[in-house]
Amino acid sequence: MKLKSLMMGVAGGAMLAVTATASFAETTMEKIVRTGQMTIAVQTQGPPVSFINKDGDRTGLAVELAQMMADDMEVELIIQDYDWKGLIPALSSGKADFIAADMTPTAKRHMQIVFTEPVFFSETIAFAPTDAPFTSWQELNSADVSVAATQASSWAETARKVLPDAELKEFSGGTAQAVQAVVSGRASAGLSDKATIAGFMSSIEGLKVLDGELAQEPLGFATRPDSMHLLLALDNYVRLIEADGRLTAALDYWWNSTAWEADHK
Amino acid sequence: MMDWLQFYFNFRIVGNYIDVFIAGIGQTLWISILCLILSLIFGTMLALARMSKNPLIWRPVAGYIQFIRSTPLLIQIYLVYYGLPSILPIGNLLDETQTGILALTIHTSPYFGEIIRAGIGSVNRGQVEGALSVGMTQRQTLFNVTLPQAIANVMPPLLGQTAVLIKDTSLLSIIAVFELMGAGLQMFSETVIATESYVTTAVCYLLIYAMMLVISGMLQNKLGGKAWQSN
Repeated sequence: MKLKSLMMGVAGGAMLAVTATASFAETTMEKIVRTGQMTIAVQTQGPPVSFINKDGDRTGLAVELAQMMADDMEVELIIQDYDWKGLIPALSSGKADFIAADMTPTAKRHMQIVFTEPVFFSETIAFAPTDAPFTSWQELNSADVSVAATQASSWAETARKVLPDAELKEFSGGTAQAVQAVVSGRASAGLSDKATIAGFMSSIEGLKVLDGELAQEPLGFATRPDSMHLLLALDNYVRLIEADGRLTAALDYWWNSTAWEADHK
Repeated sequence: MMDWLQFYFNFRIVGNYIDVFIAGIGQTLWISILCLILSLIFGTMLALARMSKNPLIWRPVAGYIQFIRSTPLLIQIYLVYYGLPSILPIGNLLDETQTGILALTIHTSPYFGEIIRAGIGSVNRGQVEGALSVGMTQRQTLFNVTLPQAIANVMPPLLGQTAVLIKDTSLLSIIAVFELMGAGLQMFSETVIATESYVTTAVCYLLIYAMMLVISGMLQNKLGGKAWQSN
């Protein structure tokens, strides 16, 4: 009897999940035009892509690019803040019009959602305690070395590919956990992207970046497959701000330097 | 019907990750079972210490139980993983899984202890007096008379706490322990299919729980179940 009740409960849960994928008759862009509001899903992750600044406002590269587009469209930007696990369900269920986060457009992910053209590129780098004997990431490929990375991330995937002999430790909870593991000696080194680690290095002592890049990957925004008008608008907007220099200025401020720290940290 | 279901739930993609889920189930299962056994042992010891009449014994134990019950498990896992090596040299010798098992046992034992204490309290005093009067020692009375009846009496809350323990293993991913939730997250991260990833994970947890349900029923029958109700 108890088992039957449990099965009924799971079936009910599955039905709820199914209804969350319902489609809409009105296109996403038509909804934005009608309501005058554009809703984005951003990730709770930390600087420089999306974070809460010293004034308590959400900002970051992805947030400011979306704000720039909303201003040009003369619509209000609504920001929904999610953990990584909640981003795609928020998009699929229509709670957000698009995801403004640093997502890697892999082939498997393209089968479910559509990505814009790359908005920027990230460089995967390795970091270690300053007193560690490593100078380049190639030295990490050894059985007696443990490497920390965010669970199920592209960095963990890179570690599997280029550091097959090292022990990979996948921490849930983002790069902060991987940094903590390295600083506390629970892992010999860690992997993340260059801009994120630059942000951590300004506030945490005892870390160094190892020579070389393990990989470079394009990062883009994502929307639902049925939101083609919005996707084309996003792609067009990326090209537009690339041409008029605003994208380069934003990248130089947020991504290629730590200039943002003076205003937001 | 299957076509309709296939539209909403892609079994083909879930099938591609079956090995990952089997590995996750295996990992969650053995961590849960080991923590369950350790928590029952330490929980029983805590229950007996808590029932001691010596304040030097029961007061520290009561404080420990209150501390564990009033702080989040996530913080306890952090403290054990990052704090233990700086307190005890042995802390560095434990890997992530061993540290996770230790943290979960430290967290679950007080809950089990309080349940077992209630179970011991529910055993009729006459049973103990009867055992002692026929020449059984205190130890024999405890292990052969009191505890079997106490555990049989509190099997439902113990099962409930075991279900919590199984689900709590999902928090160990914060210290890089791969388990069932990690398997679901791996599928989700690679495919971004939320429904299939999370529902499959939930069904796997349900299977583990159903198995525990059957085992606890068998155990309750073995211990005598309601036939041993003392009141």
